[in-house]
Amino acid sequence: MNKCKWWTIVLLAAAAAQVSEARIKLVALPDRGDTVIRLDNPAATLIEEERILTLQKGVNKVDFAWNGVSLDVDSIRLTVLSHPDQVKLLNVSYPPNEQALVWELASPEALEVKARISYLLNGIDRLITYKAVADKEETQVDLKSHLVLRNFSGEDFTAARVLLNYGEAFEQGIQHEETKQLLFMKKGGVPIEKIWTFDAAELPWDPDKVSGNVGIPVTYKIKNAAESKLGENSLWDGKVRVYQDDGHDGTIFLGEDNTALVPVGEDMEVYVGDSRDIVVTQQKMQEKQINIRRNNNNNIVLYDTDEIITAKIENFKDKPAKLLVVQHIPGQWDMEKCNMEYERKDAGTLEFTVELKPQETKELTMHYHRRNVR
Amino acid sequence: MKKFLLLMIALAACAAQAKVDLVTLPVRDRVQLTIYNSADLTLVRENRALTLIEGLNKLQFSWANTLIDPTSLEMRPLENAGDIDILALTYPPRTQNLGLWNIKSGRGGKVPVEIDYLTSGLSWRAFYMGTLTEDEKTMRLEGYVRVSNNSGEDYADAETRLIVGEINLIDQIVMLAQRQYPYDKPVPVSPLVMKGLFMARAAGAGEPEAEMAFDSFGDVAGMAEIKEIAKEGLSEYFLYTIPGTETIPNGWSKRLPSFDTNGIPVLNLYKYEADRYGEGVVRFLSFKNDTEHKLGETPIPGGMLKVFRTSDEAGHLAYEGQSDFKYIPVNEDVELNLGYVGDVVVEPKLMDYKTDRFSFDSHGNIDGWDEISTYKVEVKNTRDLPVKVEITGNTSTPYWDLERKDSVGKYEKVDLDSFKFTLEPEPRSKMEYTYVLTTHYGRRTE
Repeated sequence: MNKCKWWTIVLLAAAAAQVSEARIKLVALPDRGDTVIRLDNPAATLIEEERILTLQKGVNKVDFAWNGVSLDVDSIRLTVLSHPDQVKLLNVSYPPNEQALVWELASPEALEVKARISYLLNGIDRLITYKAVADKEETQVDLKSHLVLRNFSGEDFTAARVLLNYGEAFEQGIQHEETKQLLFMKKGGVPIEKIWTFDAAELPWDPDKVSGNVGIPVTYKIKNAAESKLGENSLWDGKVRVYQDDGHDGTIFLGEDNTALVPVGEDMEVYVGDSRDIVVTQQKMQEKQINIRRNNNNNIVLYDTDEIITAKIENFKDKPAKLLVVQHIPGQWDMEKCNMEYERKDAGTLEFTVELKPQETKELTMHYHRRNVR
Repeated sequence: MKKFLLLMIALAACAAQAKVDLVTLPVRDRVQLTIYNSADLTLVRENRALTLIEGLNKLQFSWANTLIDPTSLEMRPLENAGDIDILALTYPPRTQNLGLWNIKSGRGGKVPVEIDYLTSGLSWRAFYMGTLTEDEKTMRLEGYVRVSNNSGEDYADAETRLIVGEINLIDQIVMLAQRQYPYDKPVPVSPLVMKGLFMARAAGAGEPEAEMAFDSFGDVAGMAEIKEIAKEGLSEYFLYTIPGTETIPNGWSKRLPSFDTNGIPVLNLYKYEADRYGEGVVRFLSFKNDTEHKLGETPIPGGMLKVFRTSDEAGHLAYEGQSDFKYIPVNEDVELNLGYVGDVVVEPKLMDYKTDRFSFDSHGNIDGWDEISTYKVEVKNTRDLPVKVEITGNTSTPYWDLERKDSVGKYEKVDLDSFKFTLEPEPRSKMEYTYVLTTHYGRRTE
């Protein structure tokens, strides 16, 4: 059996009748009692373990060592659970060249004390992964989430209560260098919205002039809300893999994305892949300086522009599609004429929702003036 | 390298027990491969019959020397799903390429299960052969796919499916397959990363194309019957299903016919655009992926097309050129670039140049003018076939006017700084047209 990375946290209680007898007389080596692994903070994992300390009357030294285990020394806390009024923590000292500390506890009498030791332990954490299987029509998904526990802390946990930031705590053991994948959530029939997005600032305007294929990004939107059979808790960040029912009693893999934390009420957006059956070809048909204003030296100091942009939007699919077209006009501007309705998302961003029938081609024309260009 | 994809069942009488005796080693009853071409990725579905006991079962799955992504492993019972609970998948410490499923079964006996995972190392690509008729009016188009297996695993009698489409991938499967630990080790989370967790989704999701190096090992030819690949659209992708099963041992490739269409009407299109192609004429073969062109049932996956022409009645061939083309949706126009040619010539000539209409500022300096250029463009078709020629001109400024001096060809403005003439010269003929391009500068633009 490989034991090369096999350490335990050793807890030693040394009763010191006299202060000068520091760290010599080992009185007890208490076993670890109830242990809690708290995984609610993605930045650090908190371990809480309970131990019974056998204290003698007077000052006791309790030695806590963590050889081969990486923990945050400044996070170590000792809480006396039983007889807290009687037992006093006098000080904490750190012996030289050791992964250890020594608590000095004063007890008015010989006592068995229940204490809780907590610390932030490195190398142990959790991940969340999602698997969504869409139906053939892509209107809903069966959403599954797995909790992946990873323990590379140097410490074995034979049985611990694992706490997340919501849901019931559960009992789970995990060895050093072990990874465990547990089913965490399973919801059937979660509605999705499928959206195609052409952002004129991110995609080439003329796909013909690009050597590779230009795909229109396709996103699945899942609302973390009760109407989507979700909404009880935030959905943690993690990798989402999307599959689809292939209609032959199997699935195909559609793509994957990382999702950020999705609070209740917000949307999880999963960029699945690209569509090559929707093609947007955008062109600037006109850009002229108008309303030119000059200084005394006859230099141009201010002008407006007169610009026309057209975008040919082709749906080669035999299904309808809802395409979000994002356009950008910098600075101060007025729309002179536009043949489609848009929503102004911010000063310089316009969003058009273009409903395309199967095999339909539409043309968007924006005629606008940029004002007071210097 | 020999593959090891083993599945073993260990029965555990009680929950606390670790791995115990291996009881059975069930073989694959069925395997299905869904191979992607835009990424180095294959979805594998296997059916196996497990013998479970009532109570807790442990099932060991190992994949040494394969390219399986262990984070994608999933098992589901195909029958009695309500009685069978897959509690956890554990990757035990100090072992590699091994997973252990904890299964709680409410019944004993044989249970068919499906095991899914993603693997790297299998790939496919499309390629084409076009054969033009002697008069170059129609073309026979033959499509092929070539499937290669470098996954480390032999796949015997596998149902094979191919996916056309651009998927979004966060991690390369081959990288996931080669990790020491399936989900890697935890790394300290910096505050910056923490911020990112709650902000927009991870950027750079784009996937660099992961073309596999094709093993040029011999194709397996000589099938008793030519299989016709079934095609269907799913989401944004196309699924090609090869009928029956295929055996593709590790290290081998297999070529399969995809379609064969004769008599596709094609147009010989020649283009001249100095800004894009330089001083030369580029030949395109143009058609449309629609029913009028005897196509249009499915999109055509991108690939290399080699074009030949029947050069005589004996059916001898001449090689015309090749074109690496992109994915072609249904009903989309296709223009296959076959490269530069010398038998169609476009010669634009500047016949006259002058400046005019100067304007001056209050200091007497020039602040506006026009440049007036007269061009004559000669188009020669030296071939014995009619051709179509598109000549695109580009201007240096968006402020311009064009005046035609004749009515030869069709003229259109393309965008703010380009225009196009289209001509269709007869075999062995010459055409020419003249236009005056006036460009405005300075105050003359107002």
